[in-house]
Amino acid sequence: MKQFTTYVTAVIIALLLIPAMVIAEDGGDKQRDLSIWLGGHTTEFTDNTKKVGEYNKGENEFLPEFMLDYYMKSGNKMMSLNGHFYDDENIDAHYKLTIGNKFKAKIDFGSMVAQKGRDLLENIGAKKGPKMLSYTLLDEDADYKTKRSDIEGDYQLLLSKTNNIRLLAAHRSTIETGHEQKISTGHCANCHQVSRKLEVDRQTHTVEAGVAGEAGKFDLAYLFGYRTFKSNAPDAINHYDDARHPTNTVITGSDTTYTASAGEFVPRLIYQDTTLPYGVYPETEKMSHKLKVKGDVGKGRFAGAVSISQAKNKHTNLTTDAVSGVANYAVLLNPKTRLLTKLNVSQIQADDAIIDLPTHREGLSGPTQDFDYTFYSSLDRTTAGLSAELIRKVNPKLTASLKAGYSMVDRDDYPVYQNGTKTSKMFGQVKLRHRKGLTYSTNFKYRFEKITDPYVSGRGLFESKGRGVILPLDTVQPGYPGWVFYYQREELRYQDITTMPTEKHDIEWSSNWCPNSKVGINMGMKIGLDKNNDLDSLDVKQTSMQPNLSINFNPNSKISLTTGFSYTQYDSRGPVTIALFDG
Amino acid sequence: MTDYTSKSTNLYLVAHLMPTEKLGIHGSFDFNLSEAALDEVQIPDSAALVAIGVPAGWFASHSYDYSQMSTYSDFDYELLKLNFGVEYLLSPKITFTADLDYADLKDNQGYVYGNETGSFYMIRSGFRLKL
Repeated sequence: MKQFTTYVTAVIIALLLIPAMVIAEDGGDKQRDLSIWLGGHTTEFTDNTKKVGEYNKGENEFLPEFMLDYYMKSGNKMMSLNGHFYDDENIDAHYKLTIGNKFKAKIDFGSMVAQKGRDLLENIGAKKGPKMLSYTLLDEDADYKTKRSDIEGDYQLLLSKTNNIRLLAAHRSTIETGHEQKISTGHCANCHQVSRKLEVDRQTHTVEAGVAGEAGKFDLAYLFGYRTFKSNAPDAINHYDDARHPTNTVITGSDTTYTASAGEFVPRLIYQDTTLPYGVYPETEKMSHKLKVKGDVGKGRFAGAVSISQAKNKHTNLTTDAVSGVANYAVLLNPKTRLLTKLNVSQIQADDAIIDLPTHREGLSGPTQDFDYTFYSSLDRTTAGLSAELIRKVNPKLTASLKAGYSMVDRDDYPVYQNGTKTSKMFGQVKLRHRKGLTYSTNFKYRFEKITDPYVSGRGLFESKGRGVILPLDTVQPGYPGWVFYYQREELRYQDITTMPTEKHDIEWSSNWCPNSKVGINMGMKIGLDKNNDLDSLDVKQTSMQPNLSINFNPNSKISLTTGFSYTQYDSRGPVTIALFDG
Repeated sequence: MTDYTSKSTNLYLVAHLMPTEKLGIHGSFDFNLSEAALDEVQIPDSAALVAIGVPAGWFASHSYDYSQMSTYSDFDYELLKLNFGVEYLLSPKITFTADLDYADLKDNQGYVYGNETGSFYMIRSGFRLKL
């Protein structure tokens, strides 16, 4: 953090001093505006501060406050600086510098605090019954809040006027500090959750560098990108309880003893009665190369980009490779009609991971099972999209647009290895815009989407009596015909489940009416309806409605009033399932 | 299958007045009411569904009460925000400013994080200098 602060200070001082000297030496006409606000504020909270003061420090205090607006221009050189110091955790500053077309810089800094509520875990008790998920709060006095600081910059330096060759650079750093709630969840053999207070210290850094220039009719640019993410906070540690049946215990004196089923539980679990880290953040780095091109082609304008990237999780040594491309072409078909086309393609491949698990029921008599497997990422996929939009000015008052498109996600290995599902989407859209001078305008949009095979859970949701047969495995105990294990029941499950729709309708309307120069009325409505028609025993649908109205009234130059309302209603219908804990 | 409904209503008024050339007054009122609820979840009696042919008592531990479960998804907030401020031009280069911000949250349900009812006010005052 200290290094980060030093870096920020050095960059800001350099960028303030150098241009100030350059501009001061310029002999042209100068314009300079400086405004500062000096003051302070006092805050007072009553009862719970977390929601009502979500982006405040939540403390009763008096603090000095400071604002600055500075603008300086001389000839083709310009510098501006705006900043607001609210308190030591809420600061923002924006800096811009332009020296003709030779050098451009833009730096933004912002920090803000966010209050976080503490999940009381009381919803775990929503289901009343004998076998309950229990919880322990080790953070009852915790006051959760995090501070996020961002600094980002864009720089451009002209290297040669010939072919307009420019050096490009950009960076962004995000630092998050504070404390957060982390909840560990034990196996269903313990039915136990534990809530703890953990330190937050996360850093994301991105740098980008490249070169841009002109070649004939085309603008070309190459950019190299590098991004890292790391958490410097200690890992959360949890002691996972010893395996036991949730209710099938026998109390003997002050000790708890377990029935014979406890012996069954231990060799069925990957771990139990041990201390392990949980909720561990990955440490990642990503490198990318991007080539951009734009220029006139035929009667239209073309813009396209191709990029390749590799992301690596340094904790697991697993990488993800991506290749993507995008192309846009816009052309004026006639003085009243314009065509916009867009194409995008991408492919992602993630490393496969070998999952090595202890043998199920190792050391016990009866059936055992090896659950080792290779994890094929559901990220492995090819995506593509194509759309075309025709925009026509029908008459001086009416503009209409028609848009249609197709997109698809072809998954390699999800839900089944080498037999993944392919989601396809077709859409159509119509937009109308009617304008009568400055007095009246109306916009209308309708969009329809038809989706086949939307993303679903890889396994079925239901079991049903009489649907399929599973046979008990070898006899485990004398006198029993054999046991049926939970993992065998996977074979019985049916019914894909998803909340993703197969059909989607969106309607938007807005109108603006200004009967005179003093009054403006704006009203509108958004309606959404989506449903899934492919789920034979489920009825999944969602609807939304958002009307709004606003009125502006400016009777004279000294009075300005704006009032309005908005309403949002969202309804959804879906399945609710209950997890039963039975060891 | 169960239905979930959320509703949010927002009302606002913003005013800027300039009674004299030196005095500016501004104020705003913002009220938001947010509600959401899940219909009662009808869960079949699992013991009755699977207990046929199973020895009596095996499913005694499946006697759950789900009647309160849906209520844990309820939330009901009322949030009122008020702002009032003045600016007075003391001289062509100096302006005095004063603002009052007030917010009051009424949490009628207590959602996940417990009852979050609370209020907050901030008074800000200072001078703007044109240099």
